[in-house]
Amino acid sequence: MKNFLKSSLQFASLGLASALVLTGCASSTTTAEETSAAAPTEDITSEPITLSFMGPEAPETFVPVIEGFEALYPNISVNYEQIPFDQLATTIEQRIGSGDSSVDVYTVDQPWLAQYAAKGYLEDLSYLSDEAQAAMPEAMYDVNFYDGKMFAVSVWNSTQMMFYNKDMLDTAGIEYPSADPAERWTWEEIDAASQKIIDSGAAQYGYLLEQVIAYYQFQAIAESAGGGSGIVGDDMLSLDLTNEGWTKALTWYQDSFESGHQPTGVGGFDTGPMFSDKKLAFFVGGPWDIGIFGGNDVNWGVAPHPYFEGGEAVTPTGSWSWGMNPASENKAAAAEFLKYASINPEGNLKTTEALTIVPANAEAAAAYLPGLEGDPRAAGVANIMLYETQNTARTRPTTVGYVQFDSLFSAALEDIRNGTDISSRIADLTAAVDDAWMLFK
Amino acid sequence: MRLVRRTLSSKWLKTTFALGIALAFMLPIVWVFANSLRPGAETFTWLNPLSFQTLIPSSPNLDNYFALLETPLGRGIANSMWTTFLTLVFGLMMCSGAAYALSALEFRGRNLIFSIVIFSLLIPFDAIAIPLANIFKGIGLQDTVMGLILPGVANGMAIFLLRTFFLGIPKELVEAARIDGLSWFGVFFRIYLPLSRPALIGASLVLFLFQWHAYIWPLLIGTGESTLLGPIALANMKSQYAVDYGLVFAGSVVLSLIPLVLILVGQKHFVQSTTTSGIK
Amino acid sequence: MKNKELLPALGLFLAPALLALIGMRLIPAVQAFVESLLKTNVFSGDKTFVGFDNYISLADNPDFQNTLMVTLLFTLIVNPLQVVSALALSLLFVRKFPFSRLLRSLVIFPVAVPPAVSAVMWSAMYRPDGLLNSIFTSIGIPTQGFILDEKQALMSIIVMLSWIGVGYWMLFLLAGINDIPDEIYEAAKLDGAGYLRTTFSVTLPLLSRPLSFVLVATTISNFLVFAPVLILTKGGPNGSTSLLMHDIFIRAYSFGDIGRANAAVFILIGLMVVAVSLQFFLLRRGNEQ
Repeated sequence: MKNFLKSSLQFASLGLASALVLTGCASSTTTAEETSAAAPTEDITSEPITLSFMGPEAPETFVPVIEGFEALYPNISVNYEQIPFDQLATTIEQRIGSGDSSVDVYTVDQPWLAQYAAKGYLEDLSYLSDEAQAAMPEAMYDVNFYDGKMFAVSVWNSTQMMFYNKDMLDTAGIEYPSADPAERWTWEEIDAASQKIIDSGAAQYGYLLEQVIAYYQFQAIAESAGGGSGIVGDDMLSLDLTNEGWTKALTWYQDSFESGHQPTGVGGFDTGPMFSDKKLAFFVGGPWDIGIFGGNDVNWGVAPHPYFEGGEAVTPTGSWSWGMNPASENKAAAAEFLKYASINPEGNLKTTEALTIVPANAEAAAAYLPGLEGDPRAAGVANIMLYETQNTARTRPTTVGYVQFDSLFSAALEDIRNGTDISSRIADLTAAVDDAWMLFK
Repeated sequence: MRLVRRTLSSKWLKTTFALGIALAFMLPIVWVFANSLRPGAETFTWLNPLSFQTLIPSSPNLDNYFALLETPLGRGIANSMWTTFLTLVFGLMMCSGAAYALSALEFRGRNLIFSIVIFSLLIPFDAIAIPLANIFKGIGLQDTVMGLILPGVANGMAIFLLRTFFLGIPKELVEAARIDGLSWFGVFFRIYLPLSRPALIGASLVLFLFQWHAYIWPLLIGTGESTLLGPIALANMKSQYAVDYGLVFAGSVVLSLIPLVLILVGQKHFVQSTTTSGIK
Repeated sequence: MKNKELLPALGLFLAPALLALIGMRLIPAVQAFVESLLKTNVFSGDKTFVGFDNYISLADNPDFQNTLMVTLLFTLIVNPLQVVSALALSLLFVRKFPFSRLLRSLVIFPVAVPPAVSAVMWSAMYRPDGLLNSIFTSIGIPTQGFILDEKQALMSIIVMLSWIGVGYWMLFLLAGINDIPDEIYEAAKLDGAGYLRTTFSVTLPLLSRPLSFVLVATTISNFLVFAPVLILTKGGPNGSTSLLMHDIFIRAYSFGDIGRANAAVFILIGLMVVAVSLQFFLLRRGNEQ
């Protein structure tokens, strides 16, 4: 039955896609009727309903959006449960995977979506797809799709930018990088500037990538070098990390540590303090750093994320979506909550009240971004972020094997960062990932 | 005269030596404590170059500790104390009983059963946590205090420890009591338990640490109002994008204080102080 | 013996713990073993019986072979190190000298710290700009790599674990030494035995029961260690700290590879059974002498 439905849906969407290409315009109502799963129709305004919502953030983060939703639906109350981030995947695996109905809505790190969708941990939300498409930038709409169906709604987005220490650049006699994306610096220019800065004694190191051993951060570098995302194949379960672009990116990466431009030893999110403690001049980080660096006494400015000379400008993107537990007993209410938190611009904006992060909803983002320039040091950041999310953002590849890949990739990057021979380490990585991916073959 | 002087100086030598060792052990903790008294952003600022400030903050404050009050850590600690207390009470009863049976009572199959106890010790708990959690959910123990403590009460290590000690209790005592008509129950309560204070305290330590430091298991069982435990509340303080080390370290200090106090108190009884003057 | 007579006593004393152990350790272990013989389709949840394929797949895997080697090396270093250190410390702290009780408590303190917190503490200490290196540089020793250096990482983990555990094990040995009656020491002294002689011929033999307990318990708990690896090194650099329990944890909790994770569990249990049996055997032989 499942297979029959699947293939008929695929056939229908294929037919529709061809029709769209021919007519050149999207007929949204037709899409909804022919390919979406049915929306739940039960009445949710009469009886008291309790929704349970699970995620890794501190409870304060979601108080505004929950209160906003509860004001619209006074008979629904939302209970939020915080799970430590390190344990989130395990908890989802154990609770959702065992058909536990005690969770209605939960947060999904966007690269994990494919795996959860494939395992049946997410309810098909395709009936919301038209509304979602109208409300989100393209990347934030596409990222929730697996196998032609939409399985979650985007709530947050992210992008990356470069913070720089003006005083250090002054000491070394270097002009500030422009905040105009059209005049973006190259990595080659960053390296040259770093050498000058270190030589002049202005700082101990040159620059640092915030999530320095994470694929999230490195993908943009590999892509800018022309290497592609590294994950290839029809089933997206093969690795291609030895092409010219990847070799260039990895070599550049290792050299940056060997030359002392980037420091070794700090990882995770311990990297920010290196910039705040004035140990380096350039820091590639996310919107949350605007808030975090707002509290330091560094004379900083913001510029766009660098790229390789002759290559494409690519920036990391993607963040959290929210999805519905297929075993939920409150699907209609859960759907309304999801809609409020993502498709409704006011609701989506409320999810960003407690921390500095980009709302996924396009209207909410446009309203939110200018507010980031409260600190005069952040001048130009709204324009940078808007530009990147609409032009250079590249989401992580959609593969069911992302979790395994991400974990093994970080370990390899850390070793490469510490000087291990690149080609043998990549060969080991490829073998390890292939072995882990046997699970899916 | 010479003897006294030698004893005196060798005593202070030992003190100095022991002081050096104790300081080495305490160094990381002192550093963590010092960092709990200043803002998290300064955790790594005072390390290079090494200075007074590294271990002694220039303007210590209790801000981090006050901030803890606004986190669920307080509730987590209260829950941890309650679940650990229950684990201790039930665990001691269960484990000392089993250790007694495996040492005082002689029956066929005793060695086999003891091997089963040892074997259970070898099963990595975190490896069977997921299937066990599924079993517990199936019988309705999801998100309950009972679900939290059950795996902790039958502790192979505690049984092993107690049995080791019980084996040292002279058989003659038991035989004499049995001849006098004391039941096996009586032997346990009147002979074994009173003689076993150190071992019971040791077993309590084992049971206590298992439950107090539990992390994976409580997460799988559920983290509601009454089931959120200390270590999880502490882990929740690490947000995704930044770690406020000042806050986390303050929480760590608080979370370590309770086991510390118990260890210090228990240690006195566990290691009976010698009344002789250091012959050993 | 007379089993029937003892039945009520056994029922009261032994049955609860035995049932609990069977229900909450052995039965899930049997389930885990069954899982290790299956391959689960991640998408459909269908399970197929594959015999020992999971085990063979692990044995053929060079990364897993490395893990086994690292685990063996680790076991051979950490256990004697911790037991000997705990013994030495117990011999020191059993003496009465000024502040001995207080100083002893400070040595035990580390075990009160939650393991995850210890790991965070030590990760900060081991950084190139961390506490240990700043102490080293101030006394003229060059900066060390510690957990970033392939040759130092495993030892760094061992030092951290010993910091936590040695005080704890020392407690058990202290209790054991204190159990030895004073008269024996007095007799030895009268015989003219010096400190070293007394320690080796009197203290150690009489300490054999607590010592065997500590040896076995240390070995088992070190086989089960994974939190420091998870938080500090994730098995690196270059697999030099890839301990078996950490490999199991990642496979089960991160990769969701249940079949092979459970196979690895039983390989670990096998290793532990061998190690513990060996120790019991050697200790019994030693006791008989």
